[in-house]
Amino acid sequence: MKKIKEILGAFLDVLGLELHNLSYYPIYWCCMVVLPLLVIFFFTDIMQEELPKNLPVGIVNLDNTTTSRKIIRKFDSFQLTDIKAFYPNVTEARKAMQKNEIYGYLLLPKGLSEDLIGNRQPHVSFYYNNSILLAGSLAYKEMRAISTMGNSAYTLAKMQKMGYTDRDIMIFLQPITIDEHPVGNPYLNYNAYLSGIILPSCIALFIFLMTAYSIGAEIKFGRSKTLMMKAHNSILIALTGKMLPHTIIFTLIIWFYQYWLYVHLGFPYECPYWHMMFVGYLLVLASQGLAIFIFGIMPSLRMSMSICALWGVLSFSISGFTFPVDAMDPSLRLLSWLFPMRNYFMIYQINIFHGYPMHYAFEYFVALSAFIFLPILVLKHIKKALNEFEYIP
Amino acid sequence: MNIFRNILQAIYDTGKVFMDEMKIVLTDSGVIIFFFVVPLLYPILYSWLYNNETARDIPTAVIDYCHTPMSRDYIRRMDATSGIDVKYHCNSLEEGKELMMQQKCHALVTIPSTFSADIIGGRQTTVGLYADMSGMLYYKATMTSLTDLNVDMWEKIQISKQHTNYTSRDEELSVHPLTFEAVPLFNPAGGYGSFLLPAVLMLIIQQTLLLGIGLSAGTIRENNRYGTLVPLLRHYTGSLRIVFGKALCYFMVYLLTSTYITMVVPNMFHFIQFASFASIMTILVPYVLACTFLGLTISSLIRYRENVILIIVFTSVPLLFLSGVSWPESSIHGSWKAVSALFPSTFGINAFIKLNSLGASLADVRYEFRALWIQTLFYFLISAFVYWRQIEVSIHTRSLNAYQRALRRRGKL
Repeated sequence: MKKIKEILGAFLDVLGLELHNLSYYPIYWCCMVVLPLLVIFFFTDIMQEELPKNLPVGIVNLDNTTTSRKIIRKFDSFQLTDIKAFYPNVTEARKAMQKNEIYGYLLLPKGLSEDLIGNRQPHVSFYYNNSILLAGSLAYKEMRAISTMGNSAYTLAKMQKMGYTDRDIMIFLQPITIDEHPVGNPYLNYNAYLSGIILPSCIALFIFLMTAYSIGAEIKFGRSKTLMMKAHNSILIALTGKMLPHTIIFTLIIWFYQYWLYVHLGFPYECPYWHMMFVGYLLVLASQGLAIFIFGIMPSLRMSMSICALWGVLSFSISGFTFPVDAMDPSLRLLSWLFPMRNYFMIYQINIFHGYPMHYAFEYFVALSAFIFLPILVLKHIKKALNEFEYIP
Repeated sequence: MNIFRNILQAIYDTGKVFMDEMKIVLTDSGVIIFFFVVPLLYPILYSWLYNNETARDIPTAVIDYCHTPMSRDYIRRMDATSGIDVKYHCNSLEEGKELMMQQKCHALVTIPSTFSADIIGGRQTTVGLYADMSGMLYYKATMTSLTDLNVDMWEKIQISKQHTNYTSRDEELSVHPLTFEAVPLFNPAGGYGSFLLPAVLMLIIQQTLLLGIGLSAGTIRENNRYGTLVPLLRHYTGSLRIVFGKALCYFMVYLLTSTYITMVVPNMFHFIQFASFASIMTILVPYVLACTFLGLTISSLIRYRENVILIIVFTSVPLLFLSGVSWPESSIHGSWKAVSALFPSTFGINAFIKLNSLGASLADVRYEFRALWIQTLFYFLISAFVYWRQIEVSIHTRSLNAYQRALRRRGKL
């Protein structure tokens, strides 16, 4: 009984020390509260269009007849593109594209309507900038639609004259149609898709850095010996007492992000709300666990923070939400297990995004939870560092 | 004579500041990490990540309710497309969904039981595509492949059915009175790496420069007896001398680093490279200068050396978005554009992409070029002001300290 009281007392002492740090140094509340909130607001606000609309495109009309103008009018009515300018020739249009004023241009060749009537198969081209991938592929999608429509308009008129019914013509034009089901994101909402994973990645990055920083700062400012003394020389008490306020604050931040995205903005999620909250909490613990582990291996403030920064920044790529991990080098597929964000993304994708039952993400839950226990391997080393090491700049 | 001596003294002081800073850059291991190790390794790491450029052969499950030679032919053709790899044949949609849940496939295609009867009978038939939207590239690859396949099939069906055509040219014309062609420019393969890397490379220059300068300033402050940014030395009396001396040091180092990043790295990984050495240099000089002075401005806020990592690292992804690479610039609204104008990376990335990926001429990047020089001037003035303030602060702190010490001594006496 006396022992428990002693442990509790030590724990509260350490907690008090850390709370003092958090309130005393502005860098803590800045990086734990202000900047994460700013990032949440930034990403959801910048993508508020959800799907980029009215991408500027140009027209090079060398034909200038009613037929070509009809095609242009149709092109203008599309939602994703917006005709910004007409250019007298291809060179001008290309220059505008190189200046990034337009993402693509439609080239209607000279003699278009003549060739069409004379059955000489004119050739219409759409040039688009593929070096800006999202804009390029959206413009391409529109182009596909216009090409089908352009053809169909002409065929429609021709076949009507031949006495076919509208239904016959539709079948002629599209004997096989695709019934599209974008599973999990039927609205093609990029905001829901990108924010749902960029934001936790950003928060995880803050957790990584803050965890390594707060432990390393003890050594740097020469407080580590006091800390260990207050913790009765128990590294477990020192670390848990020190990390508890961080865990609470970051969990609240991640819950706020989930509230903001899924309740306030109303983005779809397919699992019970508490389940999402639990996964968020798990991510906080896993990120802290990994950061402590990294610090344990390299108990220098600068090195551990550099590695944490590297890990956090790489998470954006290796979680695989923009470029699938399956398509990367096989060795990277193995490496991706070492990133909490990768496992979080898989759980997010399987449970939250698609709403599949929990057990389908079982292995990722195991992997994510394993990060929480990583610090056990280096406890001794951290203890030695806190007790003996001096700060090396 | 006096003016002449003053100028000489100023040049000498600047040189002294330059030498001191260079010593830090070459000996402080933290600065070495950010100035040399990160710029050397990050580009290689990123190129490795996106080496495969596109997602091909998405594992797909097919549910064939039709079971006729025609549907099997259709599936074979689907398998042959670049985007779809028919990995599983299922008997029911449930079975396919199960495979999708287990992450074994990322798309399902259903072929209706009436597929071949419809085509032969001249009725429209519908193929179902269920694409996993958790990766946009899955959707993009399968959707494009299936649409292309249907266009091919359409031509086949129409040509075989029309009896009014006499020659093969007639046949072609009856299906395609007008041909359309979409030409992807500047990144013909649609590669993900070719798209993202130029932006990342330019961003690395800015971020590492800000980190390194901040770290060095933090170190100076920590080593200083009174915690001020400007050491109390004879050569550190003019803010212009300090700013010029330091900027010259970073500029020299970064001209080397950024040349490696913008010219050697793309070459190593065979990325598109249109720009000449001279035109890249024309942009790099104001870009590195603007970043340097921004770094000097920010560094005045850094109290302890490691704090700079906390403040700079997380900005990388938001800055990438603000530059209009991930999210089209035309869809970013005014207030965020104003924010993006504060950072050299916005103009640096755009200028580099235009020059290097789009093959624009220097005249086409006039806007970015000017913006970078304006930023250089703007941040130069601010950093000069900031250092002028810091000199005042350190003189003040010193005299305050001297006064207190004197008081104490007198008390003792």
